[in-house]
Amino acid sequence: MPPIELLLQQAMNGLMLGVMYALVAVGFTLFFGVLDVIHFSHGDIFMLGAFAGLTALAGLGAIGIGAPAVALALAFAGSILVVGLLGVVAERVCVKPLARSSPLMTLLATLSLGLVIREAVLIFYPRGADPKPFPQLLPAGGFEAGGVAIRYENLAILAIAIVAMVSVDLLINRTRMGAAIRAVAQDPEAAQMMGVNLNGTVDLTFFIGSGLAAIAGILSGLYYSEIHFIMGVSGGVIGFSAAAIGGLGNVYGAILGGLLFGMVQTLSAALIPRGSEFRDVVAFAVVMLFLVVRPSGILGEKSAERV
Amino acid sequence: MSPVLLAEAVLFTLVVAALLAERPASLAATGLAGAATAAALGFLPGLRAALTRAFAAHRVPALIGGAVGALLLPFFLRGSPYWTFVATMALMYVTIGQGLNLQIGTAGVVNLAGAAFAGLGGYTVGLLTTAAGWPSWLALLVGPWAALALGALLFVPILKTRGHYLALVTIAFVFIFNTLMNNLEFTGGPQGIKNIPTLRILGHAFTTPPAIFGVRLPAHANFYFLALLMAGLATWIARRLHDSWLGLALNTLRDDEIAARCCGISVTRGKLVAFSVGNFLIGLGGSFYAVMVGFVSPPDFDFGYSLVMLSVIIIGGVDSVAGVVLGACLLVPLPERFRFLHEYRLLLYGVVIVLTLLYRPQGLWPVAVRRYR
Repeated sequence: MPPIELLLQQAMNGLMLGVMYALVAVGFTLFFGVLDVIHFSHGDIFMLGAFAGLTALAGLGAIGIGAPAVALALAFAGSILVVGLLGVVAERVCVKPLARSSPLMTLLATLSLGLVIREAVLIFYPRGADPKPFPQLLPAGGFEAGGVAIRYENLAILAIAIVAMVSVDLLINRTRMGAAIRAVAQDPEAAQMMGVNLNGTVDLTFFIGSGLAAIAGILSGLYYSEIHFIMGVSGGVIGFSAAAIGGLGNVYGAILGGLLFGMVQTLSAALIPRGSEFRDVVAFAVVMLFLVVRPSGILGEKSAERV
Repeated sequence: MSPVLLAEAVLFTLVVAALLAERPASLAATGLAGAATAAALGFLPGLRAALTRAFAAHRVPALIGGAVGALLLPFFLRGSPYWTFVATMALMYVTIGQGLNLQIGTAGVVNLAGAAFAGLGGYTVGLLTTAAGWPSWLALLVGPWAALALGALLFVPILKTRGHYLALVTIAFVFIFNTLMNNLEFTGGPQGIKNIPTLRILGHAFTTPPAIFGVRLPAHANFYFLALLMAGLATWIARRLHDSWLGLALNTLRDDEIAARCCGISVTRGKLVAFSVGNFLIGLGGSFYAVMVGFVSPPDFDFGYSLVMLSVIIIGGVDSVAGVVLGACLLVPLPERFRFLHEYRLLLYGVVIVLTLLYRPQGLWPVAVRRYR
């Protein structure tokens, strides 16, 4: 048994990973809510968010806006806007037209779209094949509490992620737009009869989900201080896993699932010999077990379909 | 009967021309000829109907003609070991695709772990030949059984989950497989298993170029003929299974499990049988790959290959046995044909698949309604 400080430290790291996974997972769960589809290219949208943020930061640096707080705020805004719109384009082109056909079609179409996005970044981004260093803009340093080293930049990442999640929660539960999203998720036809603009609501949902992925992408760049065009593959699969173990369609479930996945990864790295190499084996095995034992997820509703 | 053979001769000429055209002019001419043929079939329903009738009336000559064409192909490709190799890969994907189609298309058991099951076959061959010293032909026969046996690990998830959730379970399986292969010592880690001995049947090593009727073929032609046998058997088995009562039962449980249960079909048994037979064929393809290439490593079986396998069966036509053959023979050589586009070819591959799904969602060769006599 490793010392308790190590476990706490790993739990802290798991929390950091978990909030990033959660932001991606919320997108998966929102899309599933309104269209009943899994948007598999969402992982690559997450990767695009990181690259859009990096580009924005480079551009801001070039025109002389160097103050970290300002540059970072502008980079977040720019990345959310651009990637959110790209998410809407992806939905219009590839997801919505196929939403009524068999799930297999959307599966293959969005997986292929993810391939297209990945290859496009690889080809068209300057030196796209190399990992890109991400500028360190968050305050350095830190303090120690109970044997756990806590860095200020980790706290900043946590704060940004929590702000993003709380704002989405407020948006969904407290605004008219959010009410429209919830209505469409419940019953698209009834929602339309009540005067909800179906296409607009679906677009909005994809904008929000993709914007969250963009935030996660930049946070991931800040956390690992490097980004790579391939990061969306595992990012997407982990985000989907988190959404599924939380219960597809449930936003809180997705957040819970993301945190759980991050914790399982880091704690298994600490508890198992050679755990850092096999942590994904443990994490995905937990996901499989979860889906078998509780197929509708932690917070998922029991539905009549599962006879 | 003559229209059948004429049609097959035209198709054969187009295939050979498409594979061997090198100069831009000849490539463009081949492309135009292919497009003209496709357009003629698309816009002249009378021609299409006549051909369909002719093929239906002369099934045996049509099959013999197709077999002769497939056997003759390496003789036309003898100047190019590379294209012989690509054609062999396409046939390997026919085998894998038939297995996957039985699972996904016929039984509705979504399996995105195709790469992992091919890898299980390939790694079994690698370990049996290099670590245990088995002859390659024996390992090639045992490899698929390993894929089938280890598929039992997923039996419970397959019965408990479906749709998106099952897709996720199988994706997780590929990632677990890849992480294990990358980190375990006895599988060689990231380097994989090297120096898998080549096949040797009746004293004929598959690395020596064969000479048939005095014509010297590249060494890869050995594997081409073996792959042709393998793909032919797999397609025949798939065809028989699809047309049997089992295929019909699997279609029923795919479309509505409750209704299937009410008709007395055992959903559990149906799904597990389809899954296991499918894994056997996928593992056979992977084992063949290991013997042909001579080494296996984790990147040969990563999640991207599951995507290729899935696109083969969906673009061909879900549940369509003939569609799998068409899909594999189109999608595997296509990126190789467009190698002159260098880095753009994977991008275009993705675009082509998305466009096909949007504009021809039923696939290129959709499944026909069963006809019982």
